[in-house]
Amino acid sequence: MNDRHLSSQFDEDLNSLCSKLLQMGGMVESQIEIAMRGFSEANIDLCEQVIEQEKSVNALEVEIDSSCAEIIARRQPTARDLRLVMAISKAITNLERAGDEAERVAKRSKRIIEEAPNYKINAAEIKLSGQMAIDLLRQSLDCFARLDAVAAAKVVSDDKQIDEEFRGFVRKLITYMAEDPKMISTGLDLLFIAKAIERVGDHAKNIAEFVIYIVKGADVRHISHDDLVREVTK
Amino acid sequence: MISRDPTLFAKRKRANAFGLTFSLVAMSIGMIFLLWILAILLFKGFSAISPALFLEISPAPGTPGGGLANAIVGSLLMVFFCAFFSTPIGILAGIYLSEYGDNNKFSQVTRFVTDIMLSAPSIVIGLFVYAIIVYQVKHFSGWAGTVALSLIAIPVVVRTTENMLKLVPSTLREAAFALGAPKWKVSLTVVLRAAKSGVITGVLLAIARVSGETAPLLFTALNNQFFSTNMNAPMANLPVMIFQFAMSPYDNWVNLAWGGALLITFAVLGINIIARVALREKVSV
Amino acid sequence: MTTTMKPMFHSDINQGNAQSAQGANVSSNTPTVNAIEIKNLNFFYGSFQGLKNINLNILERKVTAFIGPSGCGKSTLLRTLNRMYDLYPGQRAEGEINFYNENILEPGNDVNLLRSRIGMVFQKPTPFPMSIYENIAFGVRLYERLSKAEMDERVEWALNKAALWNESKDKLNQSGLSLSGGQQQRLCIARGVAVKPSVLLLDEPTSALDPISTAKIEELINELKKDYTIAIVTHNMQQAARVSDFTAYMYLGELIEYGKTDQIFIKPAKKETEDYITGRFG
Repeated sequence: MNDRHLSSQFDEDLNSLCSKLLQMGGMVESQIEIAMRGFSEANIDLCEQVIEQEKSVNALEVEIDSSCAEIIARRQPTARDLRLVMAISKAITNLERAGDEAERVAKRSKRIIEEAPNYKINAAEIKLSGQMAIDLLRQSLDCFARLDAVAAAKVVSDDKQIDEEFRGFVRKLITYMAEDPKMISTGLDLLFIAKAIERVGDHAKNIAEFVIYIVKGADVRHISHDDLVREVTK
Repeated sequence: MISRDPTLFAKRKRANAFGLTFSLVAMSIGMIFLLWILAILLFKGFSAISPALFLEISPAPGTPGGGLANAIVGSLLMVFFCAFFSTPIGILAGIYLSEYGDNNKFSQVTRFVTDIMLSAPSIVIGLFVYAIIVYQVKHFSGWAGTVALSLIAIPVVVRTTENMLKLVPSTLREAAFALGAPKWKVSLTVVLRAAKSGVITGVLLAIARVSGETAPLLFTALNNQFFSTNMNAPMANLPVMIFQFAMSPYDNWVNLAWGGALLITFAVLGINIIARVALREKVSV
Repeated sequence: MTTTMKPMFHSDINQGNAQSAQGANVSSNTPTVNAIEIKNLNFFYGSFQGLKNINLNILERKVTAFIGPSGCGKSTLLRTLNRMYDLYPGQRAEGEINFYNENILEPGNDVNLLRSRIGMVFQKPTPFPMSIYENIAFGVRLYERLSKAEMDERVEWALNKAALWNESKDKLNQSGLSLSGGQQQRLCIARGVAVKPSVLLLDEPTSALDPISTAKIEELINELKKDYTIAIVTHNMQQAARVSDFTAYMYLGELIEYGKTDQIFIKPAKKETEDYITGRFG
């Protein structure tokens, strides 16, 4: 955080809170990456690793939330400190859910590998949007670290691409499943994986919205894109 | 462990003991004389304490017995009237100095004059009143005595009133002003009341002081061998009476003088004690 | 990180916007009236300028808090509102302070009458050396003539307003000094309220009290603001946040920011305000 408080302990507490958030973000990022690799390389070990690691992500959420409560109780933060703590408390929920999505990808991938290792559906879109989601998450965490509201606004609009990819893939899946009913089971697994990736994108978008809240004090969660840009450039 | 240098501790203990002993000795020297005075007074004057002291007037030279009734009454009258005039004048002047005229020229001069009067020789005051009253009307009087005593008492009351009022915290004044009270009301109803016990103590101390003054009465009230309550004529009073009787050749006169001295001393002592006890009571509320 | 700069409050007044009392930070649709309008106020202690060009409106029946570091002029400002500085030669105020459209700084005004309409409670509880009853009756008697029954009623009403009636009703004749610190301060508040002023000025009213007495008095302020306009100076920011509707941040004699309390404490417009509030003030 920029300029320091008179209380150095308060500074340390806030800095440690931010570091833990970024640590959790890094953990979730890597979870998604490994889950995607497990999917594209059909590697069951990687999938199981993701499922196992999910516990640590949840533990971090609990720890960070507890730190937020302590800071509020002890310091009665105001203005931008308050917005920071509020935003972190919400952002970790998004991160934890993103972690859940990674686990979901891993579980579904494991099912596909076990039951239909030679499925014939072209899942290039999944790999592509998976990479986009990972990038978006990384960017939103980066915006948080730098408290860059302008870059965060871009993250918010970039999420739309992932949504479009998802819609495109759903249309393709429907075609596949209509042509060959035996593919439906695998098709559904692929659908859930794609949905999970789309949701990761949404969570990254939420994190970026919180960054704007911290910096500008404006809650941009449910306003139009034009209004958002106006808030950011004020 | 605790005393790194054992000799240092011993040295400090010795210095402490020395200082304590020294101050106790100094205090005792003062106390000894006070107690000695009281003892001698009691010893010599106790025999004179009897109803006769209060009921019979001063005896003519050579006449046995007698008392100090006229002197006691005369002193009481003059001190009473002195208090009657000095108290309001002194308190109002003190209020002015403290509340109204804080640093203007007039207040500075007044304070200066008051300080001089406080330490003015009382005989000079007596002579002054002699010149302006007694000499003009060509006779001594109790009123002249009262005026002389007042000139001694007023500065005391002014000074103590001003000091006591100044001790009242300004926040109390501001609280009264904040309600919309005009200045005179703040001064009289709030500030004076807050300093009440201190001001009363000042008045009592002034009275105690003038009760024993001899020199001013010497030239103003003179003395009177007979019983009289006529303030327009020479008035009997204890200090001058004692002065007259103490060095006379008559035994009963000398005895009465001791009795009078005892009376005055214990009256003054009594007033001082009351003043301090009254002050302590108010402070503890 | 950038913070947005909002236009200062006084630029809005000059636009003839007499109804709103705050700057662009706040919605100007508040339907209340200004009890006090301060215009271009400058204050001097001899040659030292304690207040510099203050422009501010205090809304009626709201609590306005003044915060800022020591020496910022918040107490000075409060004391100009009831001309308390008049007691001290060498202190003077220039500018306009309109109390319901009457300029109280005009010479020739009855200052005492003004003070009965703008009351003040100080930091240190100062009960008069009289009974509890007399403490309250003192102020009332200055400007009203009430019968004994009416005075009894007024005393009870005032003590009730100050949440002190139950604790003191059996000892109205005892000295005001026999109460505890928190009770004494409530007595001073009762005394101020008894004369039914329009405005109550509170100068750090709880800084000499323990937390529980402080909480009781804050609760009292919350009740009182239904009937009185209240201006409070406090060095405790959390108290300002808890108690006030509007907050003014002052520094070195100037008004830095003024707005709704919620907005000042969540999203202040000026960096100086934020630095002070978040404890980054160096």
